[in-house]
Amino acid sequence: MSKSTSWRTAAIAAGAMALAAGSAVAQDKELVFGLQCDRTGATQTVGIFLCPGYHDYISLVNSKGGVEGFKIRVLEIDHEYKVPPAMEAHERFKKEGAILEGVYGTPQIAALTKKLEEDKILGTSPGFGNSASTDGKRYPYIFPLAASYWSQAAAAVTFVKKELGGSLKGKKIAYLFFDNPAGKDPIAILEDLSKSEGFELKTFAVPSPGVEMGAQVLDITGRYKPDFVIAHLFGRSPSVSIKEFKGKGYPLSKVISLVWGASEADIKAAGGYEVAEGYHTLQFAGVGGDFQVIKDINAMYQAQGKPAPKEQETSVFYNRGLMIAALHVEAVRNAIKAKGGAKPTSEDVKNGMEAIKGFTLGGMVPPMEVTREDHEGGGWVQVWTVKGGKLVKDGEWFQAYRDVIKKHLAATN
Amino acid sequence: MWGEIQFGFALAVSGLSIGLMYSLIALGFVLVYKATDAINFAQGEFVMLAGFVAALVLAVKGMPVMGGVVAALVVMIVFSFGLERVVLRPLLGRPVVAVIMATIGLGAILRGLPPITVGGETRALSLGIGDTPFTIGPASLPPIQVLGVVVTLAFLGIFTWFFLKSRMGVAMRAVADNQQVAMAMGINVERYFALAWAMAGTVSALGGVIWGSMLGVDVHLALVGLKVFPVVILGGLDSVLGAVVGGLIIGLVESLAAGYLDPYVGGGTKDFAPYVVMIIALMFKPYGIFGTHRIERV
Amino acid sequence: MLHRESGVFKTSYAADMALYPLPIARWAVAAVILLFAVVLPLSLHEYYLSIINLSLIAVVGALGLNILVGYTGQISVGHAAFMSVGAYTAANLAVHLHLPFWVTLPAGGLMAAFIGAIVGIPSLRIKGLYLAIATLAGQLIIEWVINHTPAISGGAQASIEVPRPTFMGYEMKTQGQLYFFLLFFAALATLATLNLVRSRIGRAFVAIRDQDIAAEIIGINIFRYKLLSFAISSFYAGVCGVLYTYYFGIANYEAFQIGVSIDYLAMIIIGGLGSVLGSILGAIFVTMLPIAIRLVMEPLGGLFFNAGELSSIIASTRLVLFGCLIIFFLVVEPEGLNRLWRNIRNYFRVWPFSY
Repeated sequence: MSKSTSWRTAAIAAGAMALAAGSAVAQDKELVFGLQCDRTGATQTVGIFLCPGYHDYISLVNSKGGVEGFKIRVLEIDHEYKVPPAMEAHERFKKEGAILEGVYGTPQIAALTKKLEEDKILGTSPGFGNSASTDGKRYPYIFPLAASYWSQAAAAVTFVKKELGGSLKGKKIAYLFFDNPAGKDPIAILEDLSKSEGFELKTFAVPSPGVEMGAQVLDITGRYKPDFVIAHLFGRSPSVSIKEFKGKGYPLSKVISLVWGASEADIKAAGGYEVAEGYHTLQFAGVGGDFQVIKDINAMYQAQGKPAPKEQETSVFYNRGLMIAALHVEAVRNAIKAKGGAKPTSEDVKNGMEAIKGFTLGGMVPPMEVTREDHEGGGWVQVWTVKGGKLVKDGEWFQAYRDVIKKHLAATN
Repeated sequence: MWGEIQFGFALAVSGLSIGLMYSLIALGFVLVYKATDAINFAQGEFVMLAGFVAALVLAVKGMPVMGGVVAALVVMIVFSFGLERVVLRPLLGRPVVAVIMATIGLGAILRGLPPITVGGETRALSLGIGDTPFTIGPASLPPIQVLGVVVTLAFLGIFTWFFLKSRMGVAMRAVADNQQVAMAMGINVERYFALAWAMAGTVSALGGVIWGSMLGVDVHLALVGLKVFPVVILGGLDSVLGAVVGGLIIGLVESLAAGYLDPYVGGGTKDFAPYVVMIIALMFKPYGIFGTHRIERV
Repeated sequence: MLHRESGVFKTSYAADMALYPLPIARWAVAAVILLFAVVLPLSLHEYYLSIINLSLIAVVGALGLNILVGYTGQISVGHAAFMSVGAYTAANLAVHLHLPFWVTLPAGGLMAAFIGAIVGIPSLRIKGLYLAIATLAGQLIIEWVINHTPAISGGAQASIEVPRPTFMGYEMKTQGQLYFFLLFFAALATLATLNLVRSRIGRAFVAIRDQDIAAEIIGINIFRYKLLSFAISSFYAGVCGVLYTYYFGIANYEAFQIGVSIDYLAMIIIGGLGSVLGSILGAIFVTMLPIAIRLVMEPLGGLFFNAGELSSIIASTRLVLFGCLIIFFLVVEPEGLNRLWRNIRNYFRVWPFSY
């Protein structure tokens, strides 16, 4: 090799080493969290608000000295809502020594179920995924942490029962859903409840991506004419459904949406709060900016001379990100305390997650209790309704039909 | 019984009008294919781009609706010109798959741009035409769909006249038929390619404005592009009338399938029922109902 | 200079028909096999092996699609659907009948081949983009059938968990063990394709691609060969789907939707239509590109942005970069990576005497 090429090689090698050194930080007092996100794929309208919420909470915790003295590093990987990148993301998290993983997406958590168990790293799937994974004995490393689709459906029925005067006998309920596993998950619960509560249930499937559902809504409003509609749509479809119902003259106050059709973004895209007046939504995290933790985050941004992140406007998804991060941090806190201040492993964090009780983050998180058997935490939800130009709390946190859900969980075994 | 007929009528009207909205997008595709033989897999992304431009411009306070529409038109026409020059000229002689792949790549770029540049959240596009639906008996159509129907039919009329009667239209057909001979006859082929893309850009702009108003503008708006394919295949890749008729049939089949087949099979038929109809039609007319039959010579 | 073709004599028909007649080619292949079978699994960290595993599965699928699109000239956008047919067939057989993987894998492939042949029936009448959209119809119909038939899909969740593959009592769980499992099938698929395209069937496929009317005139039964091409290609797709199932431990049709079909088309176009090496290179390229972009951007971006903003920027930039690279490739070298490799190899063929 000539002199110039050997200098060049040395320079490149030095540069590479500098890059590598730049990414190797003092590892001793640092914990790694893995976060999967979808910022460019089919559900990006959720991911672009949820993941910043997650990051913001972790930044807040770090700015206050970390969790029990340990700083947290979040490694986020965007998987475009595809499955192979999610698997690669998991392997990357494992390599970096992540002690827990925030999984994103129903097909992704399905594909990773086995691997997470083999690798003994817990994965959280709040508000999506397989409802059967609530059973902590059968799926020890999967934590729904928030109302699964079964709990959401049961809660919706409870709410409808209350709205229709306390009894569902002889009433008609329409279930509008996305024609994929996530959409079909609650049907078993709804059918069971229709028998026990005495109402008539009819299902209306919308094939993804659900940008057009005129015929289904027409069928509901023109032919079936139900007393209430339970809607389970995601992505673009909730706003399309709101517009369709409004256009066909069906009162939105007779529609309740499960958690993913429930954000300010959907309402805005449907044409604004005036159009969506009366629309009921189920939430598993608090809505709006009236929480201490959000004020703390904004104070943190102000101290850095930056404005509050605009993702907070879609508080439904942003707050969910906050909640997930908060639960992750609490699990780690429990694990560190149980280990007397030492660095926890992913198994310790699993035990820590199963010890979460009474953590409400100022009302943003429901009074959930995670146990070895119940990885869902109780399936708490809250109803928020569009009234007078914004989302308004419509009742306190509640659970619904836990016995029915337990029965179905036992049946899947 | 009467209720059933009413329901069926409402279903049909809804399906036909949505079908014409599909045709609006399909027209952009057909124009490009008719004049330049290029298959544009990124048609949905074009519509999305137009929607974004319109939404961003209309977000400025006090901007009249026409301002947004004009902005979308200008941007789309310039974009189409640029696209034709920069990306498609070098690919002129290459196999068909290369152009398809180039448009897929272009689609990926267009889908990735909004989150980096303006933010990926959904924006509403209000055209100020109100929400009260028009009623035709038991059927009702939101005003935006009525607008879409009017625009599509207007384009149908304009383009049919253009290709049949006007000098430029005939020249464009000559270019599509046989480039070499057209050049020998003194037609500036390059200019007509550019013109075809510009026309497609116009159609995409209006499609973007209307669909953006219906669905809300975000990256998902590009998904409507998938609906283009059954429409143009059924109608014929290079037929303007085919785009409209194909759209009507596809929209109608979708609507009727959802209304009448779904209850028996548990839903979801509206996704593939139009494709089944399309395949059956293709077995009889392999180039679409109105497409030109390609004569292959050995 | 290195790629000597002179001085090589063949004294039997077998030697003449050999896959790698030149000694240098045989040495090169032996080196590659050594690299993949011994060097890589021993030296690489599990994470990198996992990426290679994903590429190996993609290689099988890409090879199959290239047989159909590259060698026979029939554009198909339904490849992912055949993968899910294979996946669910194998999953159901493994779970209900407890069959081992060396039975469920061919079974999945055969089922996919059967369905593929049915989807390929329109190819006799329809050509070009029209055929492509007809195959898209096949994709949607298959998806719908799986989604709505609990007997196939295993319930509303449409996920069937399969046990890990066991070989001689040894369960294959870690990335390293799965690497050998997948490598075996990827190598088998490559060898099979290399031989297929040299055979009579392969030549018939190429004839159909070039001028199918002329092919019919000289006596090739194009209907039979077109269906055969669909069937063989779908067999590969089915096997690919089974491999995904065993790799993830679960069969789920949502992993096999239209986006995946388009991804595989991208793989073979970037790699080079009508070449085995092209399929392999394309599969590796498309699988690894998003990961590579991220690995490069992370340390660089970490210098400028904090974690939250960085992920958003990386995600969108990756998509834009992916599209730009595709277009760049097509403008610079429309025949793909394969042609690029051939150019390099041809340069070294007569180096240093290149005139």
